[in-house]
Amino acid sequence: MIRFDGAGKRHPDGTIAVEELDLTVPAGRTTVLVGPSGCGKTTLLRMVNRMVEPTSGRVLLDGTDVAQLEPAKLRRGIGYVIQQAGLFPHRRVLDNIATVPYLLGWDRKRARSRAMELLELVGLAPETAKRYPFQLSGGQQQRVGVARALAADPPLLLMDEPFSAVDPVVRAGLQEELLRLQAELNKTVLFVTHDIEEAVRLGDQIVVLREYGRIGQVADPATLLSAPADEQVAQFLGRDRGLRGLGLRPAAGIALLPAGQPHRGWTLTVDQDGRPTGWSGPGETVRQVTVYQPGLDTLRTALDSAVLSPARAAVAVDEDGRVLGLAAREAVLDALDAAGPQAVAAVAAAGDEIAGGGGRGR
Amino acid sequence: MGDEPLVRWHWLATHTDYLRGLLLDHAVIALLPVLIALAGAVPLGLVCARFPRLYQPLAAVFNVVYALPALAVFVVLIPYTGLATQATVMIPLTCYALAVLLPTTVDGLRAVPEPVRQAATALGYGPWRRLAAVELPAAVPYLVAGLRVAAVSSISLASVGALVGRGGLGYLFIDGFQRTFPTPIIAGIVLTAALALATDAVLLLARRVLAPWARREAVAGR
Repeated sequence: MIRFDGAGKRHPDGTIAVEELDLTVPAGRTTVLVGPSGCGKTTLLRMVNRMVEPTSGRVLLDGTDVAQLEPAKLRRGIGYVIQQAGLFPHRRVLDNIATVPYLLGWDRKRARSRAMELLELVGLAPETAKRYPFQLSGGQQQRVGVARALAADPPLLLMDEPFSAVDPVVRAGLQEELLRLQAELNKTVLFVTHDIEEAVRLGDQIVVLREYGRIGQVADPATLLSAPADEQVAQFLGRDRGLRGLGLRPAAGIALLPAGQPHRGWTLTVDQDGRPTGWSGPGETVRQVTVYQPGLDTLRTALDSAVLSPARAAVAVDEDGRVLGLAAREAVLDALDAAGPQAVAAVAAAGDEIAGGGGRGR
Repeated sequence: MGDEPLVRWHWLATHTDYLRGLLLDHAVIALLPVLIALAGAVPLGLVCARFPRLYQPLAAVFNVVYALPALAVFVVLIPYTGLATQATVMIPLTCYALAVLLPTTVDGLRAVPEPVRQAATALGYGPWRRLAAVELPAAVPYLVAGLRVAAVSSISLASVGALVGRGGLGYLFIDGFQRTFPTPIIAGIVLTAALALATDAVLLLARRVLAPWARREAVAGR
């Protein structure tokens, strides 16, 4: 657990980076610091491993003031990932990953076998081990950066905009990977980003920061999106926050209609195995069927599926792709009632918008 | 030079041992200073990288030394180190090589990208350890680039030492001019060039072995 206890940073020239911040970062979960550039989020992150010394207040790591710990030793116990990966150009991937184990004095063999484990854990092929960083793509470099941070199995991971410099598709993959890793490892993660989308996707707890490290709101993603503390936070979250909130709610609760029954004049056709093949309507056939899995997907996927269907109904399928039933667009929106009135209002407005605009594919 | 041919092959054939001796002497008085300078430039460069305020004054001193004409320095040194000794020629050449190698070392150490430096710090390298384990190896391509310049200029400057009695292949030029006999001059030029090319090849090979990760353009861009 990390506690910022009135922690502030004033530069020698008098400018303030962080005014004075009180914040608890719970153990075993992901806390995301999100805010515009200049809000002091990176400064806060670096206070934890003493790359920045607070000029007021303290930062406590499991109850110990980090100022009392020797910086190099402290840092070896904290994983750190930065934007451009910062891999050592002169070391092969394997030795890059084994950096902290080497620093901790592990013997070469043990450090390298641990590094091989991590290479696999972050989803890189074993032959990557012998490459040099310049031979890797940006996304691969970032994976190595994560592996290097995890090498000595630190309980705490600091991540400073680690996925900002890669293209959106790769970024989504890396985010997915981090979620998977975190589900497996349960590290205390403190993650800095300026991208609210990323914050919502990765955070268990989101801290919205304003200038000088003032806290706008601390909340879980669903609460943040449905109930922003004030106008400024709402503005930062963006216009379609209601819609994004849908992405945090499971699609399991939607009432389904039997698949055989026509809906708005369209009938779903299926093959022998019960997998959807298309929509058959008045004098017309549509071959494309967008589906969702109730146990896996969110209301956002379901709504998307419904909006894209000529029958205005989402097709629910099981993990083998066999049809379970139809979810009418209204039924998807009805499923939101369980989520509280604010969420419904926000989503209803956004839903109209999307229905009118034709929507986008996934 | 009248009807004297450009190259008298007979002279070359009868002087191979003499030429080999001069070449060897030239290699030593030109290249040993570069190695000594390297041994000095690395620690000095590390100190300058750690305490940047030291760098400018130190660089200024070596630049002034570099500006002094070689012949003048040789002559000044003769009373202390003696006429026709290796030291008389090698001391100034060492200083010249240092003047080239210190800035390239410091530049190389500084050229390590900021994210790499920060990552090293964040992973738990102390300042000295980071310099030695991360920044110095990453500076190897720069060091080799500096060595190539220093070595070639040292090989060409060493000839001037012949005027104070110790110049390796430089003798051949004095000899040839005094006797209006072009063969030794040609031999001196060819052997000097060959030595420079061979040294350069060794340095390039050293870079491939020591820094296989360095892409060519990373250094050529400087």
